Amino acid sequence: MHAVRTPPRVADGLSAAPARRRRREPTPYLLILPTLLVLAGLLAFPLAYMTELSFKRLTLRDLFTGGAGSWVGVANYSKILHDPFFWTVVVRTIAVAAICVVVSVLSGLLVALLMQRVSGWVRVCMIVSMMLVWALPQLVATQVFTWLVDTDWGVLNWLIDKVVPGVDFTNHSWFIDLWQGWSVIIALVVWGAVPFLAISLYAGLTQVPRELQEAAVVDGAGPWAVFRSVTWPILRPLVVIVTTLSVIWDMGLFTQPYIARASKPELDYYSLAIYAYQEAFAKSNYNTGSAIAVLTVLLMIGVMALYARQMFKIGDAD
Amino acid sequence: MKRRIAVAAAVAATLLGAAACGSSKNTTTSGNPLDGKGKTLKVYLMVDAQTGWKDVVDAASAKFTQATGAAVDVQYQQWANHLTKLDATLAGSDVPDIVELGNTEASKYVFNGAFADLTSKVNTFDNNSTWLTGLSGPCQADGKTYCVPYYAGARVLLYRTDLFQAAGLKAPQSYDDLVAAARKLQSAHASDPKFSAFYLPGKYWYAAMAWVYGAGGSIAAKGGDGKWAGTLESQASEQGLQKWVDLTKTYSKGDPTKDENDQDAVYAQGSSAMLYGNAWESGAVQQVHKDPNDPNSAMVDTKVKGKVATIPLPGLTAGQGMPTFLGGSILGVAAKSGKKDLAAEWIKDFTSTASMTALLAKGVLPNSTALLDQAASVKGLEAAAAAAKNSWFVPNAPGWADVEKSNVLQQMLVDVVTGKKTLDEAARAADAQIASTLNS
Repeated sequence: MHAVRTPPRVADGLSAAPARRRRREPTPYLLILPTLLVLAGLLAFPLAYMTELSFKRLTLRDLFTGGAGSWVGVANYSKILHDPFFWTVVVRTIAVAAICVVVSVLSGLLVALLMQRVSGWVRVCMIVSMMLVWALPQLVATQVFTWLVDTDWGVLNWLIDKVVPGVDFTNHSWFIDLWQGWSVIIALVVWGAVPFLAISLYAGLTQVPRELQEAAVVDGAGPWAVFRSVTWPILRPLVVIVTTLSVIWDMGLFTQPYIARASKPELDYYSLAIYAYQEAFAKSNYNTGSAIAVLTVLLMIGVMALYARQMFKIGDAD
Repeated sequence: MKRRIAVAAAVAATLLGAAACGSSKNTTTSGNPLDGKGKTLKVYLMVDAQTGWKDVVDAASAKFTQATGAAVDVQYQQWANHLTKLDATLAGSDVPDIVELGNTEASKYVFNGAFADLTSKVNTFDNNSTWLTGLSGPCQADGKTYCVPYYAGARVLLYRTDLFQAAGLKAPQSYDDLVAAARKLQSAHASDPKFSAFYLPGKYWYAAMAWVYGAGGSIAAKGGDGKWAGTLESQASEQGLQKWVDLTKTYSKGDPTKDENDQDAVYAQGSSAMLYGNAWESGAVQQVHKDPNDPNSAMVDTKVKGKVATIPLPGLTAGQGMPTFLGGSILGVAAKSGKKDLAAEWIKDFTSTASMTALLAKGVLPNSTALLDQAASVKGLEAAAAAAKNSWFVPNAPGWADVEKSNVLQQMLVDVVTGKKTLDEAARAADAQIASTLNS
């Protein structure tokens, strides 16, 4: 490949001029300018200000009286990093996100594969019902789930009592036990994530040439072999992309635990996002709150780096 | 109709105001800095005023406008997350002139310079020498006064008269009576797994702390070195807590991880005999809006309509009521306000004896002990007025609101009630957090 590219080097001098002129064309920049401005205003500025706050000491008094606060270096960070509770929350956030991502991507994939096999009208029913789930705001979905598992009037306890013999779930509280509580929250996250994943992956599956699959079957491959050798290689880039998105969403978990715990989450139900919010807005520790948020972003970038590498690899392969 | 109520209230207010001593000097104002022509006061009041006593607000504003010429723009706020919004507003330059806060929220704002100093004007407010200390305490810092008591609420025992009668019980006169009644009621309804003789949700810290103070304990104390220390692990505090935990675990079948937000709805379903709540909750459990999302919809009766009575909760010390948390609201003038004198004048009109008397009729307690006896003669307020005479209040520390917002006490209670920690472990953990929060 290298050998092929070398000879026309002479021509580079000729083609360079028009190429550079094309680069100076203002239209694309003008077109992207509004987006950049909006992003700068909505994302870059708050992010920069948050980073600045994380190196400062700015109190509520400063806020009320117009004080500028003072620089404290990395004091906020060292305070957090030496707090064992922070590390508990970090581990918990990663663990919960990992479970959510794995379960939701797998379920999404299974539903997508199922959609491929069912008859047309069943598929339409599936798509419509998933669209409805997708359209439901997180806040509302969380309220609905919280009501379902409510101790005093929830339908889930009643149903378990009716259906499963020999157990007593009357007055059972789902949030006393950490594992049960987080299971409810994870179920809710997965339930909300599956529609997007299933529909995206189903769209990806339609790109898998049928004749390839049929040829594999003719050659004697079972369903698992067909999936592994034919479907998966074509679907993989898409799976990587939706997994990446899921990681971003699930690492920023906030609404579900926060609302499920009636806006007063116990320490056991803190995620990193909730921790940062509680520090900044409940306790008015804007600086530690900002520092936690910055650390969350860094952590997320760290986790993402793995996936980003994977994505670039796929890009190279194409 | 509203206008007529307002006029009637104003007339009644004037008559009563004249009858009460010492308020007449207020009627003539000093004039010069109070010329408000062309100016508008921006007032943040909480939504309770809008739903409960908007006519009292309007009457005070009308009187104020007549005297000063300034207009009043009252903006009603929702409680949920109102502090987050307020912080952002106060950080800007276009601030409200007057702000209402819950009394437990006040010290954070008082100590952080959000409110203007009203010390020189205190003597001009009605009843300032008899203000309820649970309301005026958080307004003080360094010997100065930064806000004004507005109204109060006290918690009482709600009980089902029909269930008590069926079990041959009378309203409990002592704490032992209460526990005995709970035991009898619980066994009489043993067939109903949802029946709570005393519904007490696990995160209801206003209730639990009443037991702590009732046993002679406290939440936190300031030492000689000026440092705060949590005192929940003290013997008295733990004794009180233990009694509350025993009652909750034995006689409350609700979710131990809930707070008191749902308690009226649970009680209204009819399978609880006793409830600890604000005096107005007695109404809230008996009647609800047909459409909960529409405050203008018709009221419908619940299962417990006409079967609920209130008394002061009997205390742990014989012959004394359980100290009630004195909840309530205060009014402050924003430090950044450009119309501080006018703002103070409006607060004066709104917290006058006349306005307070009008508030009594709405079922809330006035801001002064001098008016509590009057409150005791208002139907439905008797128990609350009696309970309010023996009250407790949260530690008056600048960082108290942060302890509350970070759910330290709720966490402790849930840990104990659900058996995750022993009472002593949970109390020690809470004390450590209280100390670190209040001393930071």
